[in-house]
Amino acid sequence: MSERLKAQVRDVLDEPACATNRAKAPGERTKGCGNSLVPGAAAGGCAFDGAKIALQPIVDAAHLVHGPLACEGNSWDNRGSASSGPELYRTSFTTDLGELDVVMGHGERKLYRAIRAVVETHRPPAVFVYSTCVSALVGDDLAAVCEAAAERHGLPVIPVDAPGFVGSKNLGNKLAGETLLDHVIGTVEPADPSPLDVNIVGEFNVAGELWQVKPLLDRLGIRILGSISGDARYRQVAMAHRAQVTMLVCAKALTNLARGLEERWGIPWFEGSFYGIEDTSAAIRTLAAMLVERGAPADLLDRAEALIAEEEARTWAALAPFRPRVEGKRVLLYTGGHKTWSVVAALQELGMEVVGTSVRKSTEGDKDRIKAIMGDDTHMFENMAPKDMYAALKAADADVLMSGGRSRFVALKAKTPWVDVNQEKHEAYAGYAGMVELVRHIDRAVNNPMWVDVRAPAPWDDGYAPAAATAPGLRVVNSDATDFEDC
Amino acid sequence: MSDNEGKVRDHTTLFQEPEYEAMLESKRVNYECGHPDDMVRDIADWTKSWDYREKNLARKSLTVNPAKACQPLGAVFAAAGYQGAMSFVHGSQGCVAYYRSHLSRHFKEPVSAVSSSMTEDAAVFGGLNNLVEGLANTKALYDPEMIAVSTTCMAEVIGDDLNSFIEQARTKAGLDPTMAVPYAHTPAFNGSHIDGYDNMQKGILEHFWEELERAPRPGFNIVPGFDGFAVANIRELRRLMGEMGIDATILSDVSDVYDTPSDGEFRMYAGGTTRDEVKGALHAETTLSLQDYCSRKTLEFCRARGQETRAMHYPMGVAATDELVMTLAELGGVAVPETLRLERGRLVDALADSQSWLHGKTYAIYGDPDFVYAMARFVMETGGEPRHCVATNGNKAWGKKMRALLDGSPFGKDCQVWPGKDLWALRSLLATEPTDLLIGNSHGKYLERDTGVPLVRLTFPIFDRHHHHRFPTWGYQGALNVLVKILDKIFDRLDADTGTLGETDVSFDLTR
Repeated sequence: MSERLKAQVRDVLDEPACATNRAKAPGERTKGCGNSLVPGAAAGGCAFDGAKIALQPIVDAAHLVHGPLACEGNSWDNRGSASSGPELYRTSFTTDLGELDVVMGHGERKLYRAIRAVVETHRPPAVFVYSTCVSALVGDDLAAVCEAAAERHGLPVIPVDAPGFVGSKNLGNKLAGETLLDHVIGTVEPADPSPLDVNIVGEFNVAGELWQVKPLLDRLGIRILGSISGDARYRQVAMAHRAQVTMLVCAKALTNLARGLEERWGIPWFEGSFYGIEDTSAAIRTLAAMLVERGAPADLLDRAEALIAEEEARTWAALAPFRPRVEGKRVLLYTGGHKTWSVVAALQELGMEVVGTSVRKSTEGDKDRIKAIMGDDTHMFENMAPKDMYAALKAADADVLMSGGRSRFVALKAKTPWVDVNQEKHEAYAGYAGMVELVRHIDRAVNNPMWVDVRAPAPWDDGYAPAAATAPGLRVVNSDATDFEDC
Repeated sequence: MSDNEGKVRDHTTLFQEPEYEAMLESKRVNYECGHPDDMVRDIADWTKSWDYREKNLARKSLTVNPAKACQPLGAVFAAAGYQGAMSFVHGSQGCVAYYRSHLSRHFKEPVSAVSSSMTEDAAVFGGLNNLVEGLANTKALYDPEMIAVSTTCMAEVIGDDLNSFIEQARTKAGLDPTMAVPYAHTPAFNGSHIDGYDNMQKGILEHFWEELERAPRPGFNIVPGFDGFAVANIRELRRLMGEMGIDATILSDVSDVYDTPSDGEFRMYAGGTTRDEVKGALHAETTLSLQDYCSRKTLEFCRARGQETRAMHYPMGVAATDELVMTLAELGGVAVPETLRLERGRLVDALADSQSWLHGKTYAIYGDPDFVYAMARFVMETGGEPRHCVATNGNKAWGKKMRALLDGSPFGKDCQVWPGKDLWALRSLLATEPTDLLIGNSHGKYLERDTGVPLVRLTFPIFDRHHHHRFPTWGYQGALNVLVKILDKIFDRLDADTGTLGETDVSFDLTR
């Protein structure tokens, strides 16, 4: 690992904007959050993966992976980050290093040629070049090659130095943020800056979620100047420094980027969420208020309130028909990078019982809200190990699990319906429309008749009677430090 | 053509060459004297309207695109499942050519069947001579162990009496007294191939059981019924019984004769139920039919000879396979083994894995009565909603039975049952009340093209796709195959709908 990368990793892990980190002893801070990997224990993605998924939604850029085939070969086009235009980001580019390249040190030369080939055949606005374990280990100078190629071809060639071995996927998200700050943001000036320009950071337009929110902002005249990086264009990212306000959606991934935008260009930021009705309203309110503070016309506030009132009413009306189908269902929430209290509130409003929710990535303020909504804190847990979750579900403590893809099979083996609310999902649940969609999918998951077949013993067994199981509420489950569900 | 010299073109592209297009266009303009394009289009649109649908459904005296075949086809199929059996269809030979090609195109195997090749004089004077001559020739040319005689319309119309004809023919044709010549009257103007199947099964049992005294002993028989997937399904049935350590006599096993290996040897006869097995079947406690509507008369005959009978409607899907497995276990006097519990678990696991893609999908289903029953039942198990169930050869009683099945699930309440309706009626149904998927056979491809509803080929005949019949649809394993076929269609359609470059491809996802 180069000295430069070492220093960057150290800086990124010691995130001053992170409350958890600030609470630690000085010597502990640079260790970062939950990134110590246990050999033999199940683990999430690597730093390369994290960097790639944070940047890949920049859809008009070429993303070139410098390494053996495995890294890109196993991962290309595996995220549902949607594009409204260019499809280049889904095309897989890799130098496909072979044994001879490694032994003979041909990596740099091959990379230079690869960049040339990408530029000549696709002429993208920029090329992101990712290092991998192998290219980093053999010591290829990614930055030097990128610089030479940029000069030669006259377009940005950006080194993303986040080889897998430096740490977790989350660390890779952050290194990608650093890369944008160092190489991209601030390199293009917008032609028509407006007092209603905002950045949305940490929203990757998975399944088109950004598009569920964008129309709301459009109606208020709020423009997403910098999107990092949902459905983003390269130049859009490069202009992010001229926005008035940054909304940070997935705090865990890119806090450093929001902080960097503030430190370097004085753009204030706030953490918000588009999941759930109340959170969506709160996010719109905050955006409007902060923009007005920064000089936007004051009528924005009234227009925002009018929009919120109209949308909330419409959403509740759309949710009403689902009530009889989901009422009384017990939900266990185990989510990744987004906050859950406003989803909890909406589910409860529809008569569902939330028997437990993870608070791993919630702030203290969020936890207080959850306590307020759910009565006490006995239903909150930090992490839940698969075997505990299985036990809880097996005991029929919940009718449906809402979680990321990796808990899916825990749920299914426990014969429990499951709704994907994480990155690999196919449906968009953001904003007001997304809440209706989410409830529709809970309905669909819970009420599918095949659960009778899944749950009941084979009919020649004793006890065959597909009666609805009833059980007491969620038992106290010991938390396990193993965090198997990544953001 | 000049630029393509030396390159032989397939018809799929040849007629798209400019000279052919010009030729066809010239023909259309100068000779066909057709209606104006606008008018053709307007009428085509009108045929998809509610107005047309009402006329179409009220249609009584015309069947358009029937989803059924005639009795002798079923008889030929049933007879093929007996060892060394040659089907002899008494009547005109053209009919028999159809059965052969029909079965051959589906199973991709040679299908042997002969006819008495009746002509006009036979029609006037009776078919006895043709039958006598035909039986002698069949024996001489093809050396079968059994000649199973069924009839075409022609012989039925003139009223040939098979029983007396065959007795006379035995002597006149000099047939070996041990040669079995069972027969069944199978008029095509009555019923359909499933009735022909039933009649021939009964005829064969009658023949072999006639002079036997029943001496009841443990064991049971299985009548599989007419089934385009019989090759794999019967093997799957045997495998299931093997897992359970039991055995049964399968009355008509076509799995070998309609799936012979390519090893240089032509097998006109392969496998099948042996003569001893058929005779022994009389003494079994029970005869189990896997397709009720294919075996009403056969089971009645079994009951008349003192047997218990059971019947189910095509063991496809979870609950239907459960019934099959438990019935087999009960009849065999064994417990269901762990291996089948695991298979079942894997099937429901697969259903669970894919449920979000299946839930709420709507279906139009057509085919034979038992198949449609099972298919609708399985679809509902996956959270799908049958909307149209059509069986051209289904009667009102079938309609009632379907109604009861559909009313038993919230997923069936919006389904309409159409006994006796044909595929042209189904076209109107699909045009006015479209569904997400259409389940049927190869004939459905035109419905698919006309109405845009994707077709899943799951029942006989499947002519335009190969080898589906080599994979079972029965049992838990079979249900898994069916599930995959449906899912593939859903995903293929999804990819097609989202795959237009630069337009709809935001959701053209690698992972579904």
